[in-house]
Amino acid sequence: MKTLWENPLLQYHLLGATRHRWKRQPWLYWAATLGTGLAYLLALQTAVNYRPGIDIALWFSLFIMCLAAPLMAYNLLSSEYEKQTWESLVLTRLTAREIFWGKWGVALTRVAVLTLLLAPFLLFSDIRGWYTTTAAFIVLFGWGALLASLGVWLSFKLKRTLTTASVLYAGQVFVLLLFPMLYFILGERSLPRELISAVQSYGDAYYTWIICLFNGAFIIYINPFYVALEMEHFRWLSDWWWTEHNGNAYQQGLRYMLWGFTQGGIYLGLALLFAGFTYRGIKISWRK
Amino acid sequence: MLDVQGLRKEYGELVAVRDIHFQLHPGDVFGFIGPNGAGKTTTIKMLATLLEPTAGTATLNGIDIVRYPEEVRPLLGYMPDFFGLYEGITVTEYLEFFAAAYRIPKAQRAAIIENVLELTDLTVKKDAYVETLSRGMQQRLCLAKSLVHDPILLLLDEPASGLDPRARIEIKELIRELGAMGKIVLVSSHILPELADFCNKIGIIEKGELLVWGAVDEIIEQLQANRVLEIRPLGEPEPLIQRLEQEAHVHGIETRNGSLYVHFAGGLEEQADLLTALIRDGFRIAAFREESLDLEDVFMQITKGEVS
Repeated sequence: MKTLWENPLLQYHLLGATRHRWKRQPWLYWAATLGTGLAYLLALQTAVNYRPGIDIALWFSLFIMCLAAPLMAYNLLSSEYEKQTWESLVLTRLTAREIFWGKWGVALTRVAVLTLLLAPFLLFSDIRGWYTTTAAFIVLFGWGALLASLGVWLSFKLKRTLTTASVLYAGQVFVLLLFPMLYFILGERSLPRELISAVQSYGDAYYTWIICLFNGAFIIYINPFYVALEMEHFRWLSDWWWTEHNGNAYQQGLRYMLWGFTQGGIYLGLALLFAGFTYRGIKISWRK
Repeated sequence: MLDVQGLRKEYGELVAVRDIHFQLHPGDVFGFIGPNGAGKTTTIKMLATLLEPTAGTATLNGIDIVRYPEEVRPLLGYMPDFFGLYEGITVTEYLEFFAAAYRIPKAQRAAIIENVLELTDLTVKKDAYVETLSRGMQQRLCLAKSLVHDPILLLLDEPASGLDPRARIEIKELIRELGAMGKIVLVSSHILPELADFCNKIGIIEKGELLVWGAVDEIIEQLQANRVLEIRPLGEPEPLIQRLEQEAHVHGIETRNGSLYVHFAGGLEEQADLLTALIRDGFRIAAFREESLDLEDVFMQITKGEVS
């Protein structure tokens, strides 16, 4: 395959399987598109009129991503087992890399399209400067990519669509809600902000990221909704904030910790790790 | 040529396939017969490179299937017993998907697809959605998909299961045609008369062991060492029975519907001598014929009904 687009799996998932649905059940699909489109425009109009803070805009976008991203990946490989098409696929001349890109590429493309659709909500918030904007997009896309990659891998490992979807949604409930609750119940009674205030250099930030792995604060810092909450602190700072030493100690701490970028990078790193697992799995167990 | 050399598959203590050997040449249609759980599907999956054998190997046109699965895969077409199809697309799009996956140049795809649609008699359904096809048509589409890259070996695992009589006949004709095209076809089935119609070679597997394999006629010939002769006398059968009991080649006699069924351990010469002797002794014989074995008789004689 000279280009990724020539990959028949990518074409099938992105176009082949969907394009006929419009013809076959036009009323259902037009109604669904119209309903979703209207809801989208209404939400966008509200965002434009009220200019929510970056935390609210990112929360909303993350909420949609948390719901939608698993659906973009959960059946990509499990359906091959459930519909018993995987043997035919394995025997073709597609390489492990092409099969992997055909599946992972689909999931990632879908997440990218959703990120673009959610972009106006972030851009119409009272977001300030390139740092916050970029960090917000990296967090949003990174979380989506992580869910999609994890979804593709689980779909390959578990071989069951429903189980994959359940694990993805239940996993999010644990990571985003139950583990942070456990942190508050068993340990600190408040958000772990004192660690951030103490950071006065990039070196400090590096050690803080390492330390937080052991004291439980990591589970809070890595939570994309908490990331969004702290990004509200950037609200009143211009891009100059990035180069000049203004803002209070807490804001400086967030700056040194590369708040948003680090978490987005972690999400993307984990996404690549699960992508690697999937590729390796296809290569070994399908003898490709 | 397909050369299977000591293929073996173990799952822990269980030996699913036990050191199988056979060779097939272009144009051979090989019927792979055995009860459920005998190891047919496991063998087919190993030949299809989907399962790694515990020991042994097979070569297809000299290429080792165990060491070079990726080289062998483009040379084989596989139709599993339970198969699925990509849904939401038309028959032509489905075949285009596989043509692209087998790296058939874009310019050649339309002509190839047209050919396989014609061969599998699906041309009229080329714009139909895959999931709207009947079971028989889906079976033929699955076969069409296995043919787009012009494989030299076709592995068909129970291709006629779940089909109505018409669809069965159509699939049978298609397999016969594929053999005539010079492909090596390996078909597994439970329905023996069906296989007898179009297979020139058979292999009988039981408990993971290939009990016998070779040309259908040769196997029947081997098994007919102990033949059954049907002799229909005119008049009372008792004198004839007494006379036959004196013959050295006769091992047993059954009487059914006025005919005698004689278990005879001789060849054609001895049969002719017996008939001549009976007529010379004054017996009036209305019918004298050898009961020929069919595939079902062969299967029943060879197998014990055990599974691994």
